[in-house]
Amino acid sequence: MTTAPTDMTGDGASQTYWERYRHQPHWRNNDDEYTAAKLGMWLFLTTELLLFSGMFVAYTIYRILHADEFARASHYYLDWRVGAVNTAVLLISSFTVAMAIRNAQLNQQFWLKINLFITIICGLFFLVAKLALEYWPKYQKGEVPGGFFSYPGSHGYVPSDYDPLFLGVYWVATAIHGSHVLIGVLLLGWCLWRAQKRHFGPRHFTSLENVGLFWHLVDLIWIFLFPLLYLVG
Amino acid sequence: MTILTHTLTLAQERGALDRLIFGNQVGNSNFVESHDWLFMFIFWLCVLMFVVLMGAAAYFTLKYRYKPGVPQQRSASHNTPLELAWSIGPLIVMAFLFVWGFQGFMDAHVAPSGSEIVNVQAQKWAWNLEYDNGATTREFTTDLFGEEGQGKQVPVFAVPAGRPIKLQMISSDVIHSFWVPSFRMKFDVFPNRYTTMWFEAQTPTGPDPKDGLFLFCAEYCGAEHSQMAGIIKVLDPHDYNKWKQEMGVDTRPPVEKGASLYVTKACNSCHSVDGTPNTGPTWLDLFGKDRVFTNGSTGVADENYIRESILEPARNIVEGYPNQMNSYQGQLTEAEIRSLIAYMKTLSEAGRAALTPEETTSSEESEGAEEPESGA
Amino acid sequence: MSSTHNATADAHAGGHDDHHDVSYLKPKGGMMVTIWDWMTTIDHKKIGVMYLFASLFAFFLGGVFALLVRLELFAPDVATLDAAGNPIIQGQIFNPDLYNRFFTLHGAIMVFLFIIPAIPAALGNFCLPLMLGAKDVAFPKLNLTSWYIYVVGAIFSVVAIALGGVDTGWTFYTPYSLDTPEEHWQVTFMTLGVFILGFSSIFTGMNFVVTVHKLRAPGLGWFDMPLFVWAIYATAIIQVLATPVLGVTVLLLALERIFKIGIFDPSLGGDPVLYQHFFWFYSHPAVYIMILPGMGIMSELIGVHSRKKVFGYRAVAFSSLGIAAISFIVWGHHMFTSQDALIGAIFSALTFLVAIPSAIKVINWIATLYKGSIRFNTPMLYGLAFLFTFSIGGLTGLFLGTLSTDMQLHDSYFVVAHFHYVMMGGAAIALFGGIHHWWPKMFGKMYNEPAAMLGCALVFIGFNVTFFTQFFLGTQGMPRRYSTYVQEFTTLHQISTIGSWILLAGFLVHLATFIHSLMAGKQAPPNPWGGLSLEWETASPPIEHNFHHEPVVHYGPYDFDDAVPPFCDPADYPLPDPLPPGEKSH
Repeated sequence: MTTAPTDMTGDGASQTYWERYRHQPHWRNNDDEYTAAKLGMWLFLTTELLLFSGMFVAYTIYRILHADEFARASHYYLDWRVGAVNTAVLLISSFTVAMAIRNAQLNQQFWLKINLFITIICGLFFLVAKLALEYWPKYQKGEVPGGFFSYPGSHGYVPSDYDPLFLGVYWVATAIHGSHVLIGVLLLGWCLWRAQKRHFGPRHFTSLENVGLFWHLVDLIWIFLFPLLYLVG
Repeated sequence: MTILTHTLTLAQERGALDRLIFGNQVGNSNFVESHDWLFMFIFWLCVLMFVVLMGAAAYFTLKYRYKPGVPQQRSASHNTPLELAWSIGPLIVMAFLFVWGFQGFMDAHVAPSGSEIVNVQAQKWAWNLEYDNGATTREFTTDLFGEEGQGKQVPVFAVPAGRPIKLQMISSDVIHSFWVPSFRMKFDVFPNRYTTMWFEAQTPTGPDPKDGLFLFCAEYCGAEHSQMAGIIKVLDPHDYNKWKQEMGVDTRPPVEKGASLYVTKACNSCHSVDGTPNTGPTWLDLFGKDRVFTNGSTGVADENYIRESILEPARNIVEGYPNQMNSYQGQLTEAEIRSLIAYMKTLSEAGRAALTPEETTSSEESEGAEEPESGA
Repeated sequence: MSSTHNATADAHAGGHDDHHDVSYLKPKGGMMVTIWDWMTTIDHKKIGVMYLFASLFAFFLGGVFALLVRLELFAPDVATLDAAGNPIIQGQIFNPDLYNRFFTLHGAIMVFLFIIPAIPAALGNFCLPLMLGAKDVAFPKLNLTSWYIYVVGAIFSVVAIALGGVDTGWTFYTPYSLDTPEEHWQVTFMTLGVFILGFSSIFTGMNFVVTVHKLRAPGLGWFDMPLFVWAIYATAIIQVLATPVLGVTVLLLALERIFKIGIFDPSLGGDPVLYQHFFWFYSHPAVYIMILPGMGIMSELIGVHSRKKVFGYRAVAFSSLGIAAISFIVWGHHMFTSQDALIGAIFSALTFLVAIPSAIKVINWIATLYKGSIRFNTPMLYGLAFLFTFSIGGLTGLFLGTLSTDMQLHDSYFVVAHFHYVMMGGAAIALFGGIHHWWPKMFGKMYNEPAAMLGCALVFIGFNVTFFTQFFLGTQGMPRRYSTYVQEFTTLHQISTIGSWILLAGFLVHLATFIHSLMAGKQAPPNPWGGLSLEWETASPPIEHNFHHEPVVHYGPYDFDDAVPPFCDPADYPLPDPLPPGEKSH
């Protein structure tokens, strides 16, 4: 991993934010502060992973208990193509956010903003696709979780007793993930705004890198959710 | 009261420590011997360890208290062999405890083949045991929670001495737990899933319920959790079979059956029959009365209204009461609903006038035998 | 003990003539300015003090509910007839519905608002940077954020109480917790409150882990850290790794109530036992979130007040980490009476493992007393009280970890007594010991020692009277969470209730001592107990940035054999005689 170089020389009065950045007073130097922030972020990502692991465990148990019903429900209610497109979009966004961090380290301010912008667009695309192609039609058809499930079935498809449960797991897992995507997009927007003000550069890119880590996690969790929910069978 | 005095005399015969620890719940099952032995073993182990630890602490504290002018001695700050000893020592003891506990636990989990199966139906807030001949109890006691017949009616069940009983348990609402302290055994009862436990009672307690064993609900289940109780009387196999036969052939008139159902189906948890306000409206003077509902409509408490209130309680809620009751759909046969209605009729002027002869006379065949697999 | 205070009182004035080094408690201006300063502070000391008062308030609230619970249980409810022949219920003060709300709120408030945040977030926040020789925690703004998250979570809980309270038990077991009608929002508010409080706990834990890794003073190696820091570090790891699971559990529960998703609802195909697994996967480690910091405080109390290096320092430090690790694999012992036999057996075996590190700690503390120079003061009395109560709590755990005896004792008063001996007799007694230990440092004031000792004695007696009886209630067959009981349990219940009043008296004495100390207490010296860890090297109360210069560590936190404590008169804290030649001490 790259660490922030501390020996970068600025050129006096015209220094930008990242050039004159000085650590908070309780730290000994910028480098300590940077590695501490990253350690903190990794701990936070662990907690996020554990949060989702609850969903994964719930899914696994019901999948084992009701294997056939879940496979059938997955094929019927979920379109793997929508999931696949969203997966691709998120993968691209993970690449661009990694590039953005690299741009900051190399002081390529223009490309930094471009890459952040593409990442945000990908995130928004994911959310819009989710809402327009999945949530809204499902909601209209009554393919909603548990107690509110009202889908009568069609074309020879009779919902099993466990369809509401499958949809319960699907909605909750994707909604919690979706809220993370939304938070990620907002954080990326904040980074873009800061990049615009030239806050990031070779000497200081702590928050940009941490937001990037968060975005990778959001991506990673989707990579687990996609096969579990869309490709079972 | 009577239960108290009786069990107290029984407890007198035992040692003071035994009385303090096991109280009046004298062990009465195949698990007692191993359980009580293991319990007392751990007890003395704990006493020993506690006395040694606290004795050392008290001795050191007094001996090495600060005295001005007396210099402190230097001493070691660690001692690896010693520390290993007091880490590994307990580990060995623990291993024994685990093995003994595990043996008792496995005994409790595997019922012997040929056990008699009894179905347990738990609901808020009553126990109901259904025996293999379809019998359910018609015996109740009010001694547990009140004086002179004022306490909540709780059912009295019989089990045979010296014959294994396997309980197949299911709940119709929330989680309960079947606990008879004298059996030294409990297990949770879930909705939508059968759980089982077994036991073999040892000593007959006789036919009088006040000599019986306590049955408690040990998993918190709401307002009357603490009164979701029962009495288990242990009979010798011959008396037990007789009791079961009697309970199995229910030729009583519907009004009396209704009075039993009032307790076994836990109606008495929320509805009084003496006018006392409770979670639900009292049944005293209910039949034939005008009702005002929370949705503004009104109605008369007739047969159809009562039937609807039992099967679809949420449809019309009487003004001033919460929407609390669960549906009894699938838990009562039509005959049972009719019995309950007949019983309610006896509680009001208008109802008594509306009683039909069929409701007050005994029937020939047993209706208890055709009781449904409840809660399935 | 008072001679030590006098001798060192003037040492305080010594080093700080610099006018920048003002006490962190000194008001910044008028009242509004000061309030604003406290509300927006990122100073770990102020945040710690705010947590302390908030959690003590929660303790008071939870305590009131506990007293009401005990009051109702003073006599069984007996249905009878009054003189006029009307049915009445004798001995009933609160109806069962109200009683169920009381014990639920007692549990929920004590667990989520008091005991989980009290030691790590209050004392931990205050002491950790000082003990490490740092200026603040790693992420001061995040620290303030956790405080406000805690406040918001507490507000949610208060709203739940205002809406009529919750009667589900603090464990929120499904399907009972799904059963109350939807129009009643209090269960939803309570679970969301717990969800929010979880984030506060997570952020505090993250902050402390990074602080310990990154902000130790020069010369302060891992094995030079005070054992309280080790305990807080182990706690923080549990907070980070376990709390998210509670988060997702209560979130699912709230969603279950609002959107009926069915994951825990048996009527929709869900599984209530899954809920229990989820819940205890957090809540069992949470038990160690509560007790581990208490064990850390114990090491400080015993070490400092008997002036001995804590016996087997490394064993005690590693046992904290050991407990943290084992705590994650024993949750199933809460379900011996509901799960598969094989799984039960595995969890029983694992549960016994956790007894080992706990036993190591207790025995090592007792060994620390050997050849010490033991000073009797309130913190030390609390230390000794802890040894007594925690030993009982730990040993009675053996009955519950053993499978066949647990089948009888599960969900009985034996369990109630056991966990109160661990949680209250362990964590809360350690907390009060810790408060008395660090009170002079926090507020710069001494308290009235005899009064505080009286309070400690009353708490100790009251606690044992209240809860020791409950072991016998449990073995005699009294189930927990009962609003009434069959009459043979009456005597033991009455003794227990009277004990709760003694306990109340003890805490009222403490309250009076604290108020008296704040209003009229003597100025505290920087190092009233002759401690060697770094928090005693700064003024009482500490200056805003904790230390004039970053401290450099030359001796260990318990090297009483070799070092004279800072700001102390060597006559009061003499070094032991040198060993005869040829003998080795360490």
